[in-house]
Amino acid sequence: MISPIHIITIGLGGAFALGFVSKKAKALTTSLMLVAIALMGTISGSWLFELLSGGTETMVYTAGFKPPYSINLLMGLNEALLTTMINFVGLLGGIYLFGNLKKAGSHAVMVFLVFIMGLNVIVMTRDAFNLFVFMEVVSIATAGLILLTETGKSVQAGFKYMMATGIVAGIFLLGVIFAYYFSGSLNIDDLAAANITAIKGGAVAVMMILVALVLELKPFPANGWALDVYEASDPGVAALISAASATAFYYVLFKVISIGNADWYNIIAIAGMITFVGSNLFGVKQDKARRLLGYSSVGQLGLLMAILGLKPYLGDKLEFIAITILVSHYLAKAGLFWLAGIIEQENIKDWAILRRKPIFLVLFGTFVFALIGFPPFPSFYGKWELILALSSAGQYYAIAFILIGSFLEGIYLFRWLGYAIKLDYTKLPEIKIEWNKVIPVAIFGVLIYVIGAYTGTQMSGLDSLCYGPLLMIPFLYAIDSLKVPIKNTIAILGVATFAARVLPGLYETDMLRFIFTFIFLVGGILTLIAGYAYKGKREGFYPVALLMFVGLALIIRASNTLEFFYGWEIMTAGSYFLIIRGKKSMPHGLSYMLFSIAGAYALLAGFGLSFAETPSIEISSLSAITSNITIIFSLLAIGFMTKTASLGLHIWLPGAHAEAESDVSPMVSAILLKAGVFGLMILMIAMGHSPEATNIGYVLGWLGAITALVGNLAAAFQEDAKRLLAYSSISQLGYILFALAMMSHLGWMTAMVYSINHFLYKAILFLTIGAVVMRVGTHYMYKMGGLIKNMPMAFVAVMIGIIALSGVPPLSGFAGKWLFYNAVLDVQWYFQGAIVFFSGIIAFLYLFKLIYSVFLGQLKDNLRHVKDISIWFAIPIYTLILGIMIFSAKPEWVLQPLGDMVSQWYPNSALSWDGGLATGPYGYWNGTGVMITVGIMFMALLGWLLLVSRKAVKVKQFNIVYSAEAPQRPETTHVSYNMFAGYNKALGWLVAPKITEFWDTMTDWVHSVAHYGRQLYSGNGQVYVTYVVAYILAIYFTMIF
Amino acid sequence: MDFDLKRLGFTLLGLLIVLNWGMLMSAIMRKVGARVARRYGIPWYQPWIDLVKNYALRSQITHGIMFYLGPVFRISGGVGLFLFMPMIIGSELWMNYSFQGDLVLLMYFQFFGMLGMALGAGEGGHPNSAIGISRGLSQFTVIEVPMTLAIISLAIQYDTLSLVDIVKAQQGGFQNWTVWTNPVATIAGMLALLGALSHSPFNLVKAPNEIPIGPPTEYHGAFLGVLRTNAAILHVVEAALFMNLFFGGATNWFEFILKTFLIYFWSVFVGVVFPRFRIEQSVAWFLKIPLVFGILAIILYM
Repeated sequence: MISPIHIITIGLGGAFALGFVSKKAKALTTSLMLVAIALMGTISGSWLFELLSGGTETMVYTAGFKPPYSINLLMGLNEALLTTMINFVGLLGGIYLFGNLKKAGSHAVMVFLVFIMGLNVIVMTRDAFNLFVFMEVVSIATAGLILLTETGKSVQAGFKYMMATGIVAGIFLLGVIFAYYFSGSLNIDDLAAANITAIKGGAVAVMMILVALVLELKPFPANGWALDVYEASDPGVAALISAASATAFYYVLFKVISIGNADWYNIIAIAGMITFVGSNLFGVKQDKARRLLGYSSVGQLGLLMAILGLKPYLGDKLEFIAITILVSHYLAKAGLFWLAGIIEQENIKDWAILRRKPIFLVLFGTFVFALIGFPPFPSFYGKWELILALSSAGQYYAIAFILIGSFLEGIYLFRWLGYAIKLDYTKLPEIKIEWNKVIPVAIFGVLIYVIGAYTGTQMSGLDSLCYGPLLMIPFLYAIDSLKVPIKNTIAILGVATFAARVLPGLYETDMLRFIFTFIFLVGGILTLIAGYAYKGKREGFYPVALLMFVGLALIIRASNTLEFFYGWEIMTAGSYFLIIRGKKSMPHGLSYMLFSIAGAYALLAGFGLSFAETPSIEISSLSAITSNITIIFSLLAIGFMTKTASLGLHIWLPGAHAEAESDVSPMVSAILLKAGVFGLMILMIAMGHSPEATNIGYVLGWLGAITALVGNLAAAFQEDAKRLLAYSSISQLGYILFALAMMSHLGWMTAMVYSINHFLYKAILFLTIGAVVMRVGTHYMYKMGGLIKNMPMAFVAVMIGIIALSGVPPLSGFAGKWLFYNAVLDVQWYFQGAIVFFSGIIAFLYLFKLIYSVFLGQLKDNLRHVKDISIWFAIPIYTLILGIMIFSAKPEWVLQPLGDMVSQWYPNSALSWDGGLATGPYGYWNGTGVMITVGIMFMALLGWLLLVSRKAVKVKQFNIVYSAEAPQRPETTHVSYNMFAGYNKALGWLVAPKITEFWDTMTDWVHSVAHYGRQLYSGNGQVYVTYVVAYILAIYFTMIF
Repeated sequence: MDFDLKRLGFTLLGLLIVLNWGMLMSAIMRKVGARVARRYGIPWYQPWIDLVKNYALRSQITHGIMFYLGPVFRISGGVGLFLFMPMIIGSELWMNYSFQGDLVLLMYFQFFGMLGMALGAGEGGHPNSAIGISRGLSQFTVIEVPMTLAIISLAIQYDTLSLVDIVKAQQGGFQNWTVWTNPVATIAGMLALLGALSHSPFNLVKAPNEIPIGPPTEYHGAFLGVLRTNAAILHVVEAALFMNLFFGGATNWFEFILKTFLIYFWSVFVGVVFPRFRIEQSVAWFLKIPLVFGILAIILYM
């Protein structure tokens, strides 16, 4: 093996040697520098390979003496990894900055080389003074790099940087001197062994060293200088500072922290968490891209700092957690800064320019999701292990801080992503493609997936086989330029193949999973069929649609909480992209994502706490929890209820569902919402019959009932057909929540019937209304009317859909209502039950409004020639109608197996079957009999009417009895707008948007705090220095007194 | 389902009785209303005259298939309710098809006719139809609140949702009637009945005295005949439901006629005394006193 010392010799020697190359051969100089960095990288990379394949670490002693008489460098696994990372980003960063460096000449090239070399030494050295020297070297080199950009801002930033790091270095040096005085050594390991914190003066020395190192990591609020640096320097340089410097300095703190005592871990953890939360909070108001990235960088460093400080609680997971999060930050942040340099747009709203080259948008999305910690990126696993370890150690505050910080980061990153996906880019310039800039980003983009996949294989409990379907997504991206019919066929085949592999046999072994897999996958196929109605390419639709379906399938397949959470996040990501595709979906996509992230974190915390109890991540172990039951199950329930959009957590839904594309609405409504239902069922099965479970169930029951009421009431007052259906979904999911919460045989039967029915009729209604909207070009019902004449197919579909939804016999909806009554009486939830019943009747208001305003009443002049809905929509719609008809005629075919299934958890006490006749504890009902009786009667009466009024003449639209006036225009004759005005007067106050106001107020608060908070960063160098000094003093008073 | 000709025959006979009784009853009630207003009123056979006239009208128009089907739905709803309602207790054959479903079926089957009629009237395109329907639905939602609470209270009391069992439990003397054993639920139910029969003060839905409004606005001739037929059946069946729930049911047709008359008369009695509510007023009204009685009815039996 080549000695690691040669990393320094090449770096240093190379920098000297470059001076001899002709000043004019600028390209040659820069290329030589890159060769030098590549060589350095080769050395560290070969060490990494060696150590990973079982080699031993090595210590290099300079000048032939052992410490404390000389400086020693360590090349262990950590060092090898980090120096490889630094040299790699150095190489790519050098390539990226090729043009700038070439222009700036050989001095700049030398500075660059020294910068990278210095970082290597910082990582490897075990000597405190040597550390100081190379920190100074890096500092000066950094300042030099900042000045590569010659603007007033960058000069100021460089100067502020020097002021801050000057003070830091001074403090550090003082600390080192004192430490030497007390311990007689400059070697870090000796210092740690000397335990000088026990001596009063020694404690000050340690304080100075560590506070300086903390300050190098830009802790909040003493980090204004860093933000200016990120903003003002060239993005290529900022990438290096964020990825390379931060990596190195983090590792310095990592190794030097051992000289402090246990208190230091606490203070660093606290400093880290404050930074993570504070920085991300202030980022919320930021709209300059690079400065925002600065906030994010600082925040991520805070998180890493916190992880280090939490070392005592993380045990042997520390390195895994730190490395996964560090690597994600390293790749994502460098990638983002580089992207910023390529597109040269300062305002985050102008990042819509990314869509000029969709691959950039994919990269941007990748980095954003990696930063937040979505699968399959490394940080996902890091966060998972972090929360699990913290839970086991009982560090609840730390969990809260970390999750809140992550959430705040999500706010601005996803808003930014939303801008990039949705805002208009046509007025923005073309992107200048320079390949030396694009290649590094692309490499990091690929690497983050590769490393994520690798990390996944290192996780125990993650069944790698079940992620094969994910490979569909890159494949679909690859063929994204093909036309819709081809891609649609491939997507359907993909889902069908998956369904064919998963479904057979599942019916016998696991009915619950069969039903939900059926809903997810067969529902997926049906809704995808509607996609044939679209023309052109529909870019980006298929990968994300499949992503959602794969995520849904993974949730079902999951046998442990890690797999479940993995699938959950995949599904969230896919559905987010689906939702945000709608024309006006930008804000709704964001609010969906934020509720989803918050819900996911509640799940994560719940899973973590349950792991701490059992300790196992198997889903079945959830039932073994003995303490903290209420808090764990409540967290999980809240997590799932963000998906079922229960009251309070529902405000994302109306917009998200209403503004989505026509075939996406049924996907995210009829299908996606069931994921939350499935989660709740898993949860309740685990909860069993403990008293805590009963209490939670009671609360959920009321919540479900009120959700049902408010959802339906709000639906009755909508003018937008899709919003109406969206509110209806909220309400229907409220029923399901209510029924599940009863936690009884009949309750669960009701819930299952509602789930299946809601899937059927909501898919029918959303598909039909979506298809109608495609034809008439508006969501507003009062702009439609009389369409029954043009669209009989759609009318029949909606009519069947609303009869099934309303629960009117003889269609299948009644099965749910009948079970519901028996269940309510059985568990004696009379008042909640009455509220749900009341809301069920309110459903008639909006159902009538829907079908009347769209299809009946007066046809508008501009719609006289619209055609019936597309056949591609009609196929899935009528397939689903067939499903409803079968369910209605033979309810026992579905209900009997359901009953057997539910009996596993809630033994059947009273429901029995005799052919088609069901007898419950309170009543009886013969679905088939009723169907036949009603059918015969209806036909007989129809025959009679045909007989007595066979000569009826069809008349024209306006031929109506209109007391002495002639109706002039359909617009003034069609009753639709504010149809239930009286009802609104009487009960409208119940649906005053109080909850939306609540969340708006919360948002305002966050924004206000961020707005005023960030004024802390005045931009004045002296102020920044004051903060640094105050920070030192604060730590001093905390630690020494 | 075994086809039982004898049962069918009795059921059809029962339907005939109910239809004619319904027409006679509505004539009597209109007469009562007229006398209170110091008018003479219609002859008692006027409904039959109207019916014959309506069916005999030759000119007929339609606005489309759904318009045509509306009355069919409506009368199917009325007849269906009749079919699933036990009429005379103690006679297996007068129990109709009540073995196919319980109270829940009855409650939800009410919507069958309403919904179909609403759709049919909707296709007629007359704004007054839609306005009437929107008012009707609004009012109906809140009528069902005290009604549901009363029914839940009864279900707790009798431990069943089977209407047949509820009636049977009330046999053996008037002291066993729900009105005595559960008076609070009865009050809630009887207040709901006022709305269900849509007499004044809850008759804004049809506003019978001024501009024609409500679903039938655009219907005439045989269509109107069908609707009138249905109205006659429905009023008796609704009254029979309340008779079964609260007043011990009927063991013979005389008892049936007497009880349904009195129950129906209750709504007429209130109707001639109180003026009409606006829709928001009636919505609010049902959520006040009737709701309180409904809640009380459950609390007392919990």
